[in-house]
Amino acid sequence: MDFEFTEDQVMLRGLMREFLSEQCPVSHVRAMMDDPRGYDRDLYRRLVQLGVLPFPEEYGGGALGMIEQAIVLEEMGRIPYPGPYFSTVILAGSAIMASGDSRAQARYLPDICNGDLTMTLAFLEDGISWGPDGISLSMAREGENYRLDGVKRFVPFGQSVDVILVVARLGGERGAEGISLVAVPTDAPGLVIEPEVMMDLTSKTATLRFDGVHVPAENVVGSVGGGWPAVEIALRQAAVGASAEMLGAARKSLEMSVDYAKVRKQFGQYIGQFQAIKHKLAEMLELVENAHAAVYYAAWALDAGAPDAVLAASVAKSTVNVAARRVCGEAIQVHGGIGFTWEYDLHLYFKRAKHLEPLYGDTEYHRERVLQEALAGRVAGSV
Amino acid sequence: MDLSYTPQDQAFRQRVRAWLAENVPRQKLTTMEEKKAWHRKLYDAGFIGMGLPREYGGRDARPMEQAIVGEEMVRAKAPPPLNGLGIAIVIPTLIHHGTEQQKRRFIHKLLTAEELWCQLYSEPNAGSDLASLQCRADLVGDEFVINGQKIWNSGAHEADWGLLLARTDRNAPKHQGISCILVDMHTPGVEVRTLKQISGSEEFCEVFFTDVRVPRENLVGELNAGWQIAQTTLSYERGGNTLSRYARMLQQVTRLLDVCRVLQRNGRPAIEDPVVRQKLGQVYAEMEVLRYASLRILSRLERGLRPGPESSIAKLHYSELDKRVQELILDVLGPYGQQVGGIPDELALEPGVAYGETGSWMYAFLWSRAGTIYAGSSEIQKNIIGERVLGLPKEVRADRVAAQVASAASGDGAD
Repeated sequence: MDFEFTEDQVMLRGLMREFLSEQCPVSHVRAMMDDPRGYDRDLYRRLVQLGVLPFPEEYGGGALGMIEQAIVLEEMGRIPYPGPYFSTVILAGSAIMASGDSRAQARYLPDICNGDLTMTLAFLEDGISWGPDGISLSMAREGENYRLDGVKRFVPFGQSVDVILVVARLGGERGAEGISLVAVPTDAPGLVIEPEVMMDLTSKTATLRFDGVHVPAENVVGSVGGGWPAVEIALRQAAVGASAEMLGAARKSLEMSVDYAKVRKQFGQYIGQFQAIKHKLAEMLELVENAHAAVYYAAWALDAGAPDAVLAASVAKSTVNVAARRVCGEAIQVHGGIGFTWEYDLHLYFKRAKHLEPLYGDTEYHRERVLQEALAGRVAGSV
Repeated sequence: MDLSYTPQDQAFRQRVRAWLAENVPRQKLTTMEEKKAWHRKLYDAGFIGMGLPREYGGRDARPMEQAIVGEEMVRAKAPPPLNGLGIAIVIPTLIHHGTEQQKRRFIHKLLTAEELWCQLYSEPNAGSDLASLQCRADLVGDEFVINGQKIWNSGAHEADWGLLLARTDRNAPKHQGISCILVDMHTPGVEVRTLKQISGSEEFCEVFFTDVRVPRENLVGELNAGWQIAQTTLSYERGGNTLSRYARMLQQVTRLLDVCRVLQRNGRPAIEDPVVRQKLGQVYAEMEVLRYASLRILSRLERGLRPGPESSIAKLHYSELDKRVQELILDVLGPYGQQVGGIPDELALEPGVAYGETGSWMYAFLWSRAGTIYAGSSEIQKNIIGERVLGLPKEVRADRVAAQVASAASGDGAD
């Protein structure tokens, strides 16, 4: 039983912190807020070439586990890093790995690992549902091709990645049966990409309209009609990964608040001397430390294939959703008026955390999952 | 980072589990004699004070082994041992600060519960501000003469000995005039009254001292060094074995899930009501986070790190969480959650429990209000976290200002 990071994990955290603070200062983050693509390709390539990737070494990845991915993402949340790392590696990459499709892995992963290929996963449609029932974008066989029709919304970096992994339905109306993963290049005829303007300007998303988009059959990733299990795994890793990123945003907001409470004076004393502020900061630390425990327990459980891995992932997302909301929000309260200005950086974290809160399952979705797992007895054995 | 249990830990757990299955009393323990016999059995099996060094009657057990025993005791519904506070507070105090003679005289009999102990710290006017205590111990010849009142002394009515904090120098600044003294509770002039709590039970006491004479050799550590001694050992009371708290919560929540399959709400089993399901999912998730956080503390202890100010985060967490959990249980159960007499067996936490006895939803609910007060209230924990973990500047305090004014007035001008 050891909950502390290994030396390698501590080094990885140091590497990421150094790289991001040097290469991705807040001036860059703010520049990307106004950039229609939303990220700098060169920076993205350098980031990926650090080798901080979960993919096997034969494809050029670092074979990192989920604990290491969480460390990387927590550091990104502290910036907050603007770019398609999450969409490429955690969403699309996890789905490709989980599909078990070695042909697709050989086709996409090497380019992902050297930074030449950015990807994303198109999942949500008009309604908000994180189960297979929410998928209705249709997929139909036409000769050697598949034809795609439908709408995807809130696709991370859908306007500026190279290839979109689309979750589509081949026959049927509900359930996991028929769900397939199809890779669609962003320049495919019939695909209309409409950038969305969202609260968090550092996380670009787009609406994708598929109107008779034709892709060759070889673009299907995994088995035709049997793609749901891979999607589910990718969404679970995304839930834990998003939790890690939110944890980073929350811890950074707390640190800024503590620093501020030590220098800001009102009524002739530092505001950190007032219990109203001191106690709030203590509560924020409790939330952050519990969020840390939840994120890294879940990451370990996924890596170890623990019997409570599904439970732990949902515990993590539902816990961090609430913790990040409170910590990033209270940080603004501790700062007062300055925290409400565009110029001050707190809103970047507040918005990044809020951006991730409803994605890959909101609090209510994951609480329901927690209960289902508990009732089914898929919990940690004490032995 | 590896959160799996080692094969040795798993084997140890199996041995503990097997021993408990064989030895846990089937009948409820009612008399002190029965409770002492059970305690002695646990001691002989090596489960009492097991983390202590062997020279003091312990087993040098690792924190993980202690946690496993605590967890398995709850799981087996084993009656708790006696002298919990004595083992957690008195023994570390004696080991760190006591004389050889005190160690030999007291530790073994405390561990075996031949002698029962209580803590004599709080006073009616010294709660969170413990250092303002007024109970006096005047050194007269070779004896302390003790006068004053203590309160919130768990188990004082059954105790043979008490660990007392008393003022031995009324002229010194308040933190520097306190001493730590071992008091025989059977000495003439010691009067103990039980206090009835909101739970209906009577564990807490008030203790009155009237010219109680205690030999000087019962002083622990230096004269007037009692505050520092209490500080080093109070943290043992906080954040210690949170895994067994998790185990107890798990027992309650598991029972709650069963009850929700039977209890009807709005014409269907409560477990099918989406609002109830949200609450159950929330409580289960919060409880799991307590387990993860407990494992994190445990893994630090395993590395030999002592519980520092971070133990205040754990104390704040589990005590506040317990209140949330108990409130939520009562939400889900409606009036049944408050029922003791006449509650249908299939809805009860444990059947056949009377008002004021452990084992009802109500009793657990009411006790959750105590956890955020004793062993340093949540407000005190937040001060500790703010000042000693986050490094925030200390608050302006009237007693500190008064001390500065007094020292400035006396002309020494010390800061």
